[in-house]
Amino acid sequence: MLTTVAAGRVFDYSHCIGMYSTSGIGFLVPMDFALGSNETLYVLNRGVDEITLRISKCTLKHEFIADIGRFGMGDGQFVWPMGIALDSEENIYVTDENTSKVTVMDKDGQFLAKWGDAGSAEGQMRGPSGIAVDGANDLFIVDSQNNRVQKFSKDGRRLATWGSEGSGPGQFNKPWGLCLDAEGNVYVADWKNDRVQKFSGDGRFLAEFGVTSDGVGGLSRPTDVAVDSDGDVYVADWGNHQVQIYEPDGKFIATLVGDAQTPSPWVQDYIDANPDVAKARRRTNMEVEWRFNRPIAVNLDADDRLYVAEAVRHRIQVYSKERDYAEAAINL
Amino acid sequence: MPNQADIALMAHLMRRAGFGASRAELEERCARGYEATVEELLNPGADSGIDEDELYRHFPQFESSLAPVAAQTEWVYRMVNTRWPLKEKIALFWHQLFATGNSKVDNPPEMLAQVAMFRKEGLTNFPNLLVQLAQNPAMIYWLDNNGNHYGSINENWGRELLELFSMGVGHYSEDDIKEASRAFTGWTIGTKPPRQPVGRFYWSFEFRPEDHDYGEKEFLGNTGNFDGSDIIDIIVKQEDTARFLARHLYNFFVADEPQVPAWSITPPNDEAAIDLLVKAYMDSGADIKAILRALFNSDFFKEAQFQHVKSPAELVVSTARLAGNYYQPRTGFPLLAFECAWQGQELMNPPSVESWHTGSEWIDGGALVRRVNFAAKLLSDTSLPGVKAIMAGLKERGTLSPAEFVRSCLDLVGPVEVDDGTFQELLTQAQQGGDISWETEESAAESEKRAGVMLAMIAATREFQFA
Repeated sequence: MLTTVAAGRVFDYSHCIGMYSTSGIGFLVPMDFALGSNETLYVLNRGVDEITLRISKCTLKHEFIADIGRFGMGDGQFVWPMGIALDSEENIYVTDENTSKVTVMDKDGQFLAKWGDAGSAEGQMRGPSGIAVDGANDLFIVDSQNNRVQKFSKDGRRLATWGSEGSGPGQFNKPWGLCLDAEGNVYVADWKNDRVQKFSGDGRFLAEFGVTSDGVGGLSRPTDVAVDSDGDVYVADWGNHQVQIYEPDGKFIATLVGDAQTPSPWVQDYIDANPDVAKARRRTNMEVEWRFNRPIAVNLDADDRLYVAEAVRHRIQVYSKERDYAEAAINL
Repeated sequence: MPNQADIALMAHLMRRAGFGASRAELEERCARGYEATVEELLNPGADSGIDEDELYRHFPQFESSLAPVAAQTEWVYRMVNTRWPLKEKIALFWHQLFATGNSKVDNPPEMLAQVAMFRKEGLTNFPNLLVQLAQNPAMIYWLDNNGNHYGSINENWGRELLELFSMGVGHYSEDDIKEASRAFTGWTIGTKPPRQPVGRFYWSFEFRPEDHDYGEKEFLGNTGNFDGSDIIDIIVKQEDTARFLARHLYNFFVADEPQVPAWSITPPNDEAAIDLLVKAYMDSGADIKAILRALFNSDFFKEAQFQHVKSPAELVVSTARLAGNYYQPRTGFPLLAFECAWQGQELMNPPSVESWHTGSEWIDGGALVRRVNFAAKLLSDTSLPGVKAIMAGLKERGTLSPAEFVRSCLDLVGPVEVDDGTFQELLTQAQQGGDISWETEESAAESEKRAGVMLAMIAATREFQFA
């Protein structure tokens, strides 16, 4: 269904952005993305092995701007990029799970800096993944293989560290993505513990939600989390191929399963240019294409529109949170 | 401590039923016993043998990409890292027997799905496997059964089912092929969204009753309104089928046979062994585990050490496992997949439905150079975990004369058996440096360096090419 009504909220499918592409318009195995100013979108593509890795810079209106970065160990290059975030100047920060480094570039992709040492001492990282920037331009990074979160200044100076390996409160099992809410609380997708944990900005455990399940409210290997202005929490439920939505206290609200019934303009152009593809699409049930396949990253914009990136579908589905929705008569 | 013969036999079993094992694993398995290890291999867990969440976290392109290299690399990763060696090895066996190629299928995810079916069903029974194969979308497309219609048969699948997948040339008639093809009409592929432009979608098997020939058929002396499953039921009851499969199993797991096209005129190398496997087949109702249990516990298997030329996949994967530097997600796995191809075995893309020619035909000048260079490069790198373990094993043996040094290296790298000529060549090299000593830092460093060279030389021997 295109519109999901639950617990007094309305989540309405809007449109999607993206297509399978090795360069230029489109994405290839998106791992994460960031929303910039002027409706700019930065999509971090893992690509296929040592080719096609890049950051796709485009707009929410499907205008391609540039491909940034490529595979490698050099400046401005990545091996296993995992997370992307922007600071207030729209400088780009990318974590690399393979090199355990953070690369900083300006919004045009010019290399600025690279920092991070591989290791498990405080300030070192092993397999950094999710990354978020707070209002002071400090960085929160999931130090995944070390099962902890670390806070850094934007030039890489460690400011705080919390977490350890395990399944108790404040412990992690290969956590992946994270986000901040308006109060500066930190939400972490605790990947192999199948839950989200909420912390204060200084690392004090506040709450957890989600259980291992493919049923109502359950999670399977959540990869990312986002919080809207009402405090509702959206989780990329990677293993179950859905997005789970929770109230601020963790009570389950609704599940989104993907609704991309209308192709993105890029996809439509491709279909129009390939009559055989158009034919093939007309003689099969296309529902499988609408649904999420490996939702891997979630973000919200200032209007609480939800963006969901799918690693296997190479696109981003967009939902709006309707504020003035009136139900249609039920007896139509 | 297990004796040398036990270690050698266990190493033989693990080379054939898997992709080799480290010395530590061999000793652990020897402690549990040979028959117990055979049972462990034959009874793997229900899972695929890999933590797939970890796999797709670190290699998301494996389930997202449409490129052949991603599919090939995923399979190589599984071969190196699986918890269930025989599950992966039997998948390779069925891939080589039921050769399906991306050259025509042009859909690597579907090829990978076929291999996953071999992994899941490969140790069940032959009738089930043939039904799964007949309903496998990549196979349907590969052998044109989607073009096999009521009143207008396409014989490709029916012919190869009999000729290359079950009975072998000479045991059926042209009419049997036609009748079998009629029985498989309507067995086709369901529609799906095209893979472009939003990524992969999987085919599914679809039976279309309106396109199926429900009429009476005569097949191998039987008459009835047969469908595809009935045809397979008849095929698997034939002793010719048992013999054909037995010969394939012998060729893959025991010792190299002549190439398949010669089988109708060339008897097996070991008739008694084939008879034993045929009996296991007929007694068990074509149960794959029962046949393999008989095979691995037989004297002919135990006596067949180093009588099988490693396929490129066996050589690449077993050497990577021995070197120990591919036991985790890392970059570089595509190179292992490429290496198989460069040595003559591009996985999921055999040269034809007749599959690769095996045994000595794996070897030509170019392939041999690649095989030697690949193995020598890895085994001479004393920084790699597996090579370090070999060094530790050498150090435990203390000061070694040149002859003891050569024997120890051969032992720890396999054990590998070499003939006198090869041994003398290795010994000549070893004698240039005198005894191996670990007493001082300097002598230990020199010994380690010499051991690296010796391992590279062993990797370059004729004997190392055999499993």
